[in-house]
Amino acid sequence: MDAFPAIEVRDLRKVYGDKAAVDGLSLTVPSGCFFGFLGPNGAGKTTTIKMLMGLAPPTAGTIRLLGLPMPERALEIKSQIGLVPDESLLFDHLTGGEFIEFVGRIYGLERLVARERAGELLQLFELDAARNKLITEYSKGMRKRVAMAAALIHRPKLFLMDEPFEGVDAVGARLMKEILLDQVRRGATIFLTSHVLEVVERLCDRVAIIHEGRLVLEDSMTQLRGASETLEEAFVRAVGVERTLETLDWL
Amino acid sequence: MTISHLRAILWAQMRTLRNYPRMGAAWSTIIGVIWYGGWLAATIAVVRVMSDPDEIRSVAAALPGALSLVFLYWQVMPLLLAATGASLDIRKLQAYPIPVLELFAVEAMLRVTAGLEMFMLLLGGAAAVALNPALSKTGVAGFILYLAFNLFLAVGLREGMRRILAHQRIREIAFFVLVLSAALPQLLIARGGGRVAGMLHLLRNDFWSGWPWTAAANLALGRHALPAFAILAAWCALAALFGLWQFSASLNFDVEAAAARPARSAGRAGLLERLYHLPSLVFSDPLAALIEKEIRTLVRSPRFRLVFLMGFTFGVIILLPTTLTRNGYSLPFFRNNYLMIVSMYSLLLLGEVCFWNAFGFDRSAAQMYYLAPIPLARVLLGKNLTAVVFIILEVAAVTMACGLIGMPLSPHGLLEAFAVASVVTIYLMSAGNLTSVRQPRGVNPDSALRHSTAGRVQAVLLVIYPLAYIPAGLAYLARYAFNNEAALFAVLAFFALVGVVIYRIALDSAVQLAERQRERILAALSAGEGPIAA
Repeated sequence: MDAFPAIEVRDLRKVYGDKAAVDGLSLTVPSGCFFGFLGPNGAGKTTTIKMLMGLAPPTAGTIRLLGLPMPERALEIKSQIGLVPDESLLFDHLTGGEFIEFVGRIYGLERLVARERAGELLQLFELDAARNKLITEYSKGMRKRVAMAAALIHRPKLFLMDEPFEGVDAVGARLMKEILLDQVRRGATIFLTSHVLEVVERLCDRVAIIHEGRLVLEDSMTQLRGASETLEEAFVRAVGVERTLETLDWL
Repeated sequence: MTISHLRAILWAQMRTLRNYPRMGAAWSTIIGVIWYGGWLAATIAVVRVMSDPDEIRSVAAALPGALSLVFLYWQVMPLLLAATGASLDIRKLQAYPIPVLELFAVEAMLRVTAGLEMFMLLLGGAAAVALNPALSKTGVAGFILYLAFNLFLAVGLREGMRRILAHQRIREIAFFVLVLSAALPQLLIARGGGRVAGMLHLLRNDFWSGWPWTAAANLALGRHALPAFAILAAWCALAALFGLWQFSASLNFDVEAAAARPARSAGRAGLLERLYHLPSLVFSDPLAALIEKEIRTLVRSPRFRLVFLMGFTFGVIILLPTTLTRNGYSLPFFRNNYLMIVSMYSLLLLGEVCFWNAFGFDRSAAQMYYLAPIPLARVLLGKNLTAVVFIILEVAAVTMACGLIGMPLSPHGLLEAFAVASVVTIYLMSAGNLTSVRQPRGVNPDSALRHSTAGRVQAVLLVIYPLAYIPAGLAYLARYAFNNEAALFAVLAFFALVGVVIYRIALDSAVQLAERQRERILAALSAGEGPIAA
């Protein structure tokens, strides 16, 4: 395992217009950790992960991934990262196999190696029946699976995943979870955002909760469990939203 | 620099094109064949003339000027039409470890698509030099370096333009600066022969041999070849540095942050809300709600705003020379009908955002149209009425702009412009409703520049619009034949009636087609692109 943290951000800030989507976020993700990054809608999760992926430059603050500064060493960092980005970043008019092969070649694999691994990954993710279908014809869950398959092709050290289980059925989710846990056992670090708290509770070693751009909780799952709180209870407490259901007369 | 990334990107793009031929590709191909066929013929003519040793003297006299025109066409035309050709989808590619230089190399090659016509001519020129026994083969370098110069410069200009147009706060200001800079030569031409001649002299070969087009011509013809090579190579290096600088800046550019809107003041928001509610005064729901939604969507789209602005700014300025000759003498038809002519030009521009691909901007809403309890005919009618609202506003804005530059305006001219625009609009909307369901295509409303080429846009304008303008042409012919204004309005009224019948038939056909092919339409509207957005 590496001596340096896999992710280290300090005072990260991202401003859109006059609103700070991320406001002074500082976070350390140890190497080999399965890290869950949670928050309510609009809290700044996707903005944070986009900054980590190099898709959006921060307004202020520093980012170090795998011990290297971003964006100064962006190429080195990117070559060691596996991304499961927002699904709009897939190339819709390629087949699943072609997309994975393309990503493999972009990461510097020989064409034949990329093609071979693409075939194997399609099998592993149970997508081989849809091998020749265009990604545009895939269901939401299949798109997530193909994105994750592509993220694995170059055996990255760090995975950045934005809602990887969104729209994935129970069988697919189980398969993906097993693959991810296996990656962590092999020393990889996983940083994922998710709304599915049960999944995070079962998989992650550590969690952080962001609300209105600020970090409101960071702890290990062991500590949280020790406090005899479920993740859902901790989440609701951290974001301070305990609403009573109002009724509408006309409804 | 390795070429593995480059090969992978091109491979993925080829697969994309093979996997998913675009809807309406046949029609697009026909237009392409007509347009580029014409330029191919011109290229062959260039090769024949330039490869003839007996024509050396005339070629030598004309070449610098011709190359400067190539430069203007390649660099300026895409900006005027806000259509800059295919380009890398940086948003998707920047997540991967691809060196900037490799991305830049691909992007520079893609700039060929912004000036394919000029690319053909320059290659033709290079071939002609190689074939001409009276010229040295090293002259080919003149055309090749000039080609590279234009490609690099086009990257820089496109990227600079793209970033400016993505910026919420400065987009409109930057646009007006561009309009004013485009206006300058037109105003010089309009205001005085002597000064214009002086300006043109600056661009001539004998004034300064340091211009890139002069150096390219000298190198191609073997005149002072070594200094010409050094000058052209220097220009090329400068253009490459400029292009790389702008391209790198674009890679680090945050489109979302630039496009973020500051919170609106309550007063301004209230005023806009009242404007949006105007359709409710005339129509009842759900039609009023549809029109209101269309107006809100279009007004918030950078592409629409740019095109709307271009209609009454660029339109008024670039057509100015049609009213003047070199000595300032007016051409009566153009001067007397200037308002109508500019209005027609603005209709050309608005067509792209209002008629031809009516579902393109709100592709996510298209699915709702199929689900909501509204007849599809009502949806198309709502879109068409919105287009009419904006056409009325555009013609009004053109009228004001014409008044500002001193063009003769009269109530009669205004009535004529509105009448002609209305009749043409009926036909354009009839055709547009059909193309909207036959060739739907998702368009990014947040992108002010489009990926089609300027040449392709011109081809579409030249091939399609004359058909829609036939009624207007016949009306003017009637006025000329009978020497009577009433004849013009009578013919316009007749074609308006015919147009309404055609509109009704086209609307019904479009609705039937949309119902039959809903799955195909929704798929086409929601589909993304490959690594290269073309």
